[in-house]
Amino acid sequence: MSNITQKGSDEAEFAKPLYTPIKRRSFFMYAGATAGATALLLSGCDDDDDSVTTPSGTVNLGMGDVGVLNYAYALEQLEAAFYAQVVSNSSFSTTFSNADERTALMAIAKHEAIHRDFFKAAITQAASSQIIPGLNPDFSKVNFSDRNSVLTTAKTFEDLGVAAYNGAGALIQNVTYLGIAGKIVSVEARHAAYIRDLLSNGTFADNTTVDTNGLDKAMTVAQVLTAAQPFIKETINGDNVGK
Amino acid sequence: MEFLTLLARLADLSSETAPGPSGAPRREALARLGQAGAALLPAVLTALPSATTAAPQDNSTPLDVLRLALTLEYLESDFYARALALPNATAFFGSADNLVAIQTISAHEAQHVALLQRLLTDAGATVPAKPNFDFTGSKNGTQAALYPDVFTNLDTFLKVAQLLEDAGVRAYKGQAEFVLADNNLLEALLRTHSTEARHASHIRTMRRQRGAVVKSWVSPADAPITTAGTVPNQAYAGESVVAQYVPGPRLVPFETTLPINVGTPQLSREAILAKVMEAFDEPIDAPTATQLAQLFIH
Repeated sequence: MSNITQKGSDEAEFAKPLYTPIKRRSFFMYAGATAGATALLLSGCDDDDDSVTTPSGTVNLGMGDVGVLNYAYALEQLEAAFYAQVVSNSSFSTTFSNADERTALMAIAKHEAIHRDFFKAAITQAASSQIIPGLNPDFSKVNFSDRNSVLTTAKTFEDLGVAAYNGAGALIQNVTYLGIAGKIVSVEARHAAYIRDLLSNGTFADNTTVDTNGLDKAMTVAQVLTAAQPFIKETINGDNVGK
Repeated sequence: MEFLTLLARLADLSSETAPGPSGAPRREALARLGQAGAALLPAVLTALPSATTAAPQDNSTPLDVLRLALTLEYLESDFYARALALPNATAFFGSADNLVAIQTISAHEAQHVALLQRLLTDAGATVPAKPNFDFTGSKNGTQAALYPDVFTNLDTFLKVAQLLEDAGVRAYKGQAEFVLADNNLLEALLRTHSTEARHASHIRTMRRQRGAVVKSWVSPADAPITTAGTVPNQAYAGESVVAQYVPGPRLVPFETTLPINVGTPQLSREAILAKVMEAFDEPIDAPTATQLAQLFIH
């Protein structure tokens, strides 16, 4: 699945500005109109796939609910690519010598791949002309043969994902999308707690993420993208997400 | 407008910890709440897919949401507080790690109770009193106990903890749509929701370390802790879902079109669908959450 061949018409599709304003009323007219046109175009970023042919540049997440979906899709792409690389690393079984940890990391890799592909399908159905391309991750700072490096990066991504969904909920207009975000964020929080406990048992919900009201962290789009940007080669513009 | 103070409180709360969602001006939020306040059947309902509008309970108001949340938090808070107050608590929890983890969770549940009480008070609503709880499930000795050794056997205690945390996560998830029109309240509930999910994950990890067959997330591979057809099983009924929808509602096809197979060895179709079930936590509705809470209320 790592080789992508873009057809001419699909390239034309991507040549269009990603940020194409759509009136909310006409949103559902778009849904499905071109569904499938790009469904199989973008790679699932299997394994250490870094061959997405979209040139590095600026990727605009777009506006409204589609912007929120693209925002989630971007983060899930990042997580999925990361864990795919973790579990396919040649020293995975020695870096993680505990079988229970390997089983869990392989499961998380699949959860994130499922989340990523869910958003790809959802955006393709809802507004296929506005889906962002497959992003090129930059994991050059991660040592995939070092347990602490892997887990620290995983913690960053999981906590960031939870805070992103928590902050994005209020940006979502459609109740079905809100429901989807709710279904995913708690799984990310479960991941986050598990990874944190691997790094230091008992830190699953410590005061670096849960405040004195018992509330887990929420972050704005801008805050999240600032934290995520070093791991993505393209420049991500989320200025209009949810607007 | 009793919600004015509620909103003001939430706005303050939000700005203490994180920038408000989208920086929506409070005036705008108030206007929206005012519109919703008339019938409190906001745009949420009209936006629902027709398939789900049949459910009669889908007309919760933000106040209903807060009251339900408080009941669940009273339940969880009291549960952990009682265990920590056991004369032999240190021995009961077996290790300092276990004890500290339960203290962490207990503190959050108490904070959630305080927060919800404050929100209700500030909204001018009456704060419901804490119910009487019996965590053995015997309704104060009037019926056979479901968990007779809940405070004498750590494995039973952790089972009940898992049940309460997993159910709490599902209950908050089910209520999110009823506060969709109130960004600040929505964010507060979402942030409580993910805290509960972190708790659930840790309790599950504790159980796995003690030999239970259970993932840190809800999985069809978990050894069941409830019996099908019973009320406690409501905490898990409907979790093994492979059908996810986008608006329409339109089904997202996982098994046929999506390249979700990563790593080696590649998974079978059944194994992929099992991972899809794990990858999405499902909501429960208010009556189901109430029914679960009633197991321990007398």
